[in-house]
Order: sequence, then C-alpha cells, then structure tokens
Amino acid sequence: MLARVANNLFWMGRYIERSEHIARYLRVNYFSSLDAPNQVSQSRQFVLRSMLNMIGDPIEDESIVHSEERVLYKIGLDPNYPSSIINNVRNVRENANSARDLISTELYESINKFYHFISKYDPKVYTKNGLHDFTLNVTEMSAILRGKVRSTLMHDEIYAIIMMGTNIERATQIIRIINAKSNDALKAQGSYGDKFKNSFEWTTLLKCTESYDMMRRYYKKTPSSISTLEFLILNPDCPRSIMNSLNQVFKHMQILDPNTKLDRDSTAFLVAKVKAEYEFKCIIEIEKDIQSVIDTTLDSLYEISQKMEEEFFSY
Amino acid sequence: MVNLENQIFSSYKRNPVLFDEIFDKNGQVKDVYSKLFTLYGEHSIKDYVNLNEKAKSSFFNQGITFQVYDKKKTEEKIFPFDLFPRIIPPEEWNIIESGAIQRSRALNLFLWDIYHDKKIIRQGIVPMDLISSSANYLDQMNKVDPPGGIYNHISGTDIIKHTDGQYYVLEDNIRCPSGVSYVICNRTALKRALFGVFNHYKTYSVTNYAENLLDLLETVKPKGVDIPNVVVITPGMFNSAFYEHSYLAKTMGVELVEGRDLFVENDFVYMKTIQGPQKVDVIYRRIDDAFIDPLEFKPDSSLGVPGLFAAYKKGNVTLANAPGTGVADDKAVYTYMPEIIRYYLNEEPILNNVHTYHCSRPKELKYVLEHIETLVIKPVDEAGGYGISIGNRLSKKEIEVVKAQILLNPRKYVAQPIMSLSVHPTYIDKTESFEQRHVDLRTFTVLGKDKEFVLKGGLTRVALKRGNLIVNSSQGGGSKDTWVLKT
Repeated sequence: MLARVANNLFWMGRYIERSEHIARYLRVNYFSSLDAPNQVSQSRQFVLRSMLNMIGDPIEDESIVHSEERVLYKIGLDPNYPSSIINNVRNVRENANSARDLISTELYESINKFYHFISKYDPKVYTKNGLHDFTLNVTEMSAILRGKVRSTLMHDEIYAIIMMGTNIERATQIIRIINAKSNDALKAQGSYGDKFKNSFEWTTLLKCTESYDMMRRYYKKTPSSISTLEFLILNPDCPRSIMNSLNQVFKHMQILDPNTKLDRDSTAFLVAKVKAEYEFKCIIEIEKDIQSVIDTTLDSLYEISQKMEEEFFSY
Repeated sequence: MVNLENQIFSSYKRNPVLFDEIFDKNGQVKDVYSKLFTLYGEHSIKDYVNLNEKAKSSFFNQGITFQVYDKKKTEEKIFPFDLFPRIIPPEEWNIIESGAIQRSRALNLFLWDIYHDKKIIRQGIVPMDLISSSANYLDQMNKVDPPGGIYNHISGTDIIKHTDGQYYVLEDNIRCPSGVSYVICNRTALKRALFGVFNHYKTYSVTNYAENLLDLLETVKPKGVDIPNVVVITPGMFNSAFYEHSYLAKTMGVELVEGRDLFVENDFVYMKTIQGPQKVDVIYRRIDDAFIDPLEFKPDSSLGVPGLFAAYKKGNVTLANAPGTGVADDKAVYTYMPEIIRYYLNEEPILNNVHTYHCSRPKELKYVLEHIETLVIKPVDEAGGYGISIGNRLSKKEIEVVKAQILLNPRKYVAQPIMSLSVHPTYIDKTESFEQRHVDLRTFTVLGKDKEFVLKGGLTRVALKRGNLIVNSSQGGGSKDTWVLKT
C-alpha cells in the first residue's frame, strides 16, 4: 500500500470516529441536562461550556455568556470552524477519495451518502429543533461506516491502518470526554457523601460514551467517580475503554509489523509498552491524580500517532 | 408528428431529414428495437420521471460525479445519463469492431515508422510537413523501442452514423482516451432502473474491460520481468476524470498512484509503500506527455516523476500509452488514414473516413474559404470539442472571423463536410418527454503484444441540446447505455 494513501486511510478512520464522539457528546449532554437533578447541571451555560471544553476550545472566563444557537452551529455545521462535525465528515470523504481504489464500493457509497446528508442539512433547522435528529444520524451513519469497514474490506494492511486510526482516535476522544466531564463533576457536585464522587455527571459521562448500560450490568450500582473511571479506562471488555482501544491498536499493529522481536525504535514497541502500562495500572493510582493520568494518556496516544507517521507514512 | 399507439412516444417529433436509430423513413419501428419499444411503452411517462430521478441519485450517491468550479463554491455534478439504451445489431458491430482494430494496428505501425525509419514519408505517402510541424511529435521518442512494440495500447475511436446509414470515424483518440468507466456505470444504472428489459435481449456484458486491459498490459512488460507490477497514474483527485482512474485501478486490482508516490533510482521506477520501496514495471498513465517527467518535458510539472523518461528509454518500465502518440491522433493525420491503412496492412479501410480538406494546401484552402457555410472547421490539435466552428451556424460576421483565423495559420485547420450524426430518442428532463437527439459512439480498443481486445459496447454520447452536434461532456453532453447484441 502506498504510504500517502495509508496516511489518508489512517486519518479517514480517525475522522469517522471523531465525528461520532462529538455528535454523541452534544446530544447526550444537551438532553440529559434538561432534567438534571441540580441547578448547575441544568444550566444552559454549563452545558455549552462543557461542549466547547470537550471539542478543545475551552473558555475560562466565566463571565462570557454563550449563545446556544451559535455554539451548536459552530460545533455542528460551521464550515469555517476546522473541528466542526461537517468538517470532520468532509475530511472523511476527502481521505476516502484518494483511496477510492482501495476501499470497497459499498464503503465509499456510505461515506458519500453521509457527506451529502450533512452538507444538505439546513443549519436553521439544526439549531432550532434538529439537534437530536442531526446528531443521532451522525452517530448512526458512523456506525454504518464502521460496519462497512469491518465487513466489506479484507482484514489486511488496509484494514489494519484504518483500525489503528479508529482506535487511537477512540482512546483520544474517550479521554477528552473524561477530561471534560470530570471537570463538570467538580462544578456540579452531588448532594450526599463525597460530593465529587457522587456527582450526576458520571452518569452523563457514561452515556456520552455509550457505556451506561454496560456499566450498570457490570457493577449493579449507581455510577461513582471510581467505578466510572475504572470501567472506562481499565476494563478490557468495555469496547469504549482506553484499555480495549489499546488492545485493538496493538492487535492491528501486529498485522503491519509482524516481527516478534521488536525493534526498540519501532511503533510496535511503543504500542506494546503503552499497552503494558495500562494493563498494570490500578484505579487507586488513577483516583489520586486524575488530571495527570488524562495528560499522560493524551501524550502517549499522540506519541504513537507521531511514530506511525514517521515509520510508515513519510519518506 | 408521428402518431404511434405508444403513450410515451405519442408526442415524439420525428424530423424525416435525420437518420433515426429507432424509426425508419416511414416512421416504423426497426425490428431490432421493436421489443424494447413495446416494453418501454408499458410504462407511463410518470414512471420515467421517477426512474430518471432514481438513476440520478444512484450516480450521485456512488460519487460518479465531476466538479464544476464556480467563483463562489464548487459544485458536484453527475454526467447526464439517458434511460433509453442504444442497440447495435451484430452485423453492424462486426464492422465497427474489425474496423477499430484495423485502425489501431495501422496507427501503431505508423507510430513505429515515424519514430524510426520514416519510410512512409520517404515513399511520399504522407508529407514530411505532417510530422515536422506537429506540436505532438516528440523528438525524444526517436529510435526508442517501446516494450512489446506497442505505442497506442488504448485507443478510443469516435464513430458516427451519417444520414446514409453508414458508420464514419470522426476521430482516433490515442493519447489518454477517457469514458470507459461510464460505459460500465451506465450499464449498472440501467440495470438498477429497468432490469426487466434485459431478459428480452442477448446483450454482451461490458464488465470484462478491466481484466482484459490488465491482461494486455501484462503482455507489454519490460524485458526480464516475470510478473509485472502494474499501476495507474493519475494527476490527482481534482482531475475531472479521477473517478475513472480510481475505477480502473480498483477493477484491475492495482495501485492508483500520483507522481509524488513514485521515484526513480538507477533508471528503475519505485513506489513508496508502507513496507518500503517497491519496483513498478508497467504504468498506465492518465497524465499528458508534457507532464510525465519534469526533467525531460515541462520542467515545472509537479504531476510527473523526475527521471521517468530515462527509465522508459532504458526499457525498464512500460508507459501506456507511449509518449508521443499524440502525433498520430492529430486531425491532419486523420485525413491520411485510408492511405496509412493500405500502406502498412495492405488492406482496404473497413470504416469510412470523412473527406477532409487541408487548409495547408492552397487549392483546398481556396475551396474551404469559398464554401465555409457547408463545412465544419476544426483546429488540428485541440481535444474535447474546443475551437470547432460549424459553417451553417455562423453569422456573416463570424464567418469573416473564422476565415481570418484560418488565413493566419492554415496548418492549424482542416475542414470537413457537415456530417449529420444520427439521432436517437432521448428522455428530456425539461419537457418530460422523449425527443430526437444526436448521438455518436466511442469504442475502446486495447492493443497488447500480438493480442487485441475491443470492449463490446462503447460510450454512446448524446448532445442534449436540441439540434446540437457536439456530444462532448465538456460541452454539455450526456450518454446512453449501449447494447451490442449477440448473434
């Protein structure tokens, strides 16, 4: 596979995943806040700030009042905002275009439909009463794309590259969502016991990552900071966890670099090392300093991505 | 108006001067179309409105589109596709197929000759001037032996049917002829929309193009290579034919590369893959001569590969088509095709050539200037229907302008009698009815070493504007599925 095209497919995978997480974050936060148990969680400003925070555009100044319409438009459909969903999907398609000979006709057609759906969506309808419909369609169409990736492509190098992108991005988005929501939990604390630990925002966090039902089945208890973080970071069986994503990255890395004795300077070595760190991490360590875990995780993921670029994509 | 007991054709206006592919002179449906005519008649015009919309969105969703650049934004458009197929009966197809092969073979021998001994010129069959003044003659190709001895691996032959019911070749395209992907897409779209009609005809499949192309490209591999590594090279995704490039690469199962994905080392060509450099042996290039190698041709080309031509000259890589083929699809060379065929193959031309006047010859120039209103004036070195003037469509003022242009550079122009392209019922969106529109046919011929292949189908292009004779997509043309019937 051509290095240039591999790079594009890697990013195609990343952008598919990214659009989905952003859309879901918007929807879950917006709608769960409507009947949230406390004043802060219900506040529009609180929710809009959380959205901007998650997308990587935090505004520290508490005195600024955000317009709901403007924030939703910016994150959803603003063609001039690079991180908007519409630009993510545009990037999915651009990257797919250059690899059109390699990906299946079925996958391309779904990507194309997805793009046309977004680009035809009326911004006025979206900001007025289309948020649910729009974001739900984005998450469903991304799920369709993932399904097509899995079922209409050979599970070879091409697939491995896309899956690497998908899983690196998934881990990145999950950790960013954890970051944004633990921030929210500090502000909107619970009403009993350890107020941070029992914040309503942990439930929202799980819903933002589509893990609430799984988590309830596993712990059979109301989510707290500890159980939520343990589940989302360390549980290898939760398909959205950092651990699971790292396992996936590792698995697909082996298709690209099947050597059993790894070169210390290779991406595969780095991936294995990061994976091992999380395999032997305990929730107690994480709980002590959530912020530094978030920061190092983001750094490690960035490092893996850079290393891939160096080893596979550049000449 | 023809009164037919067929709802969808009830308002079909038949101009008796034109050759209609479906109706004979008396307005009767020709045998070969009669079943189709009945089948289509079972639908109402409303059905066609729906089917037409469906076919359009099928193309749109599959991304079979091209970009139109506007000042404000870029818009994505589909090539208009017509729901009524064109049928070519077997006896007519045999002529087309054998004629297309004959022309491609003759052109290949002609190219070999003019880049080697130039016998045809020394024997006075064609004038030296034809080559020495051609912008597409490449000095760099002198004495170069292309692998397998093939120059024009892929030829697109543009054929029309005149009012006399005979086929005429209008043009041989042997640089980078495009359109073959639309042949296949049109078939797919028609099958999706009107699958029922296929049961009633025995039509050749068109899906075997890619496998035959790959097969023949492998026969012209460089010496000493066992299993050649074939790639398709494209100028990139902003090229209007990018869909076709990716389609060909995908269906052949080979890499689609851009110039920046390749490099040359010690006169061998490599592509940059994630597992390190990989040698490339055969390049089906969809980049024009001038851009393939900045070291040899246009120095500011960023589309090509530095050193590619040197590797080619060494025989280490095959380029299809070979550089310098453009000299032979020049409209001036076209006029010598009958002589060229007789000279190299010792055969009579199977397909007709349109009589051509060369403005470079004083006598013929005089004739052209005097009869301009009955002629089509064409620049010899333009592609895509640009720069063509049709005499009877020009105002007096425009005629003077054209005359002045010809006199300024007579070598640049040829003239031909106005040929009338046959017409075919075509669904017109605006009026929601079937109307007569002019059509032509582009066939695709592939030459390999001692092997050849003609796609049994071809691209029937339709001029969608009423009365318009120019069918090129760049000039607002559409296309039809084309059925070649089995005997």
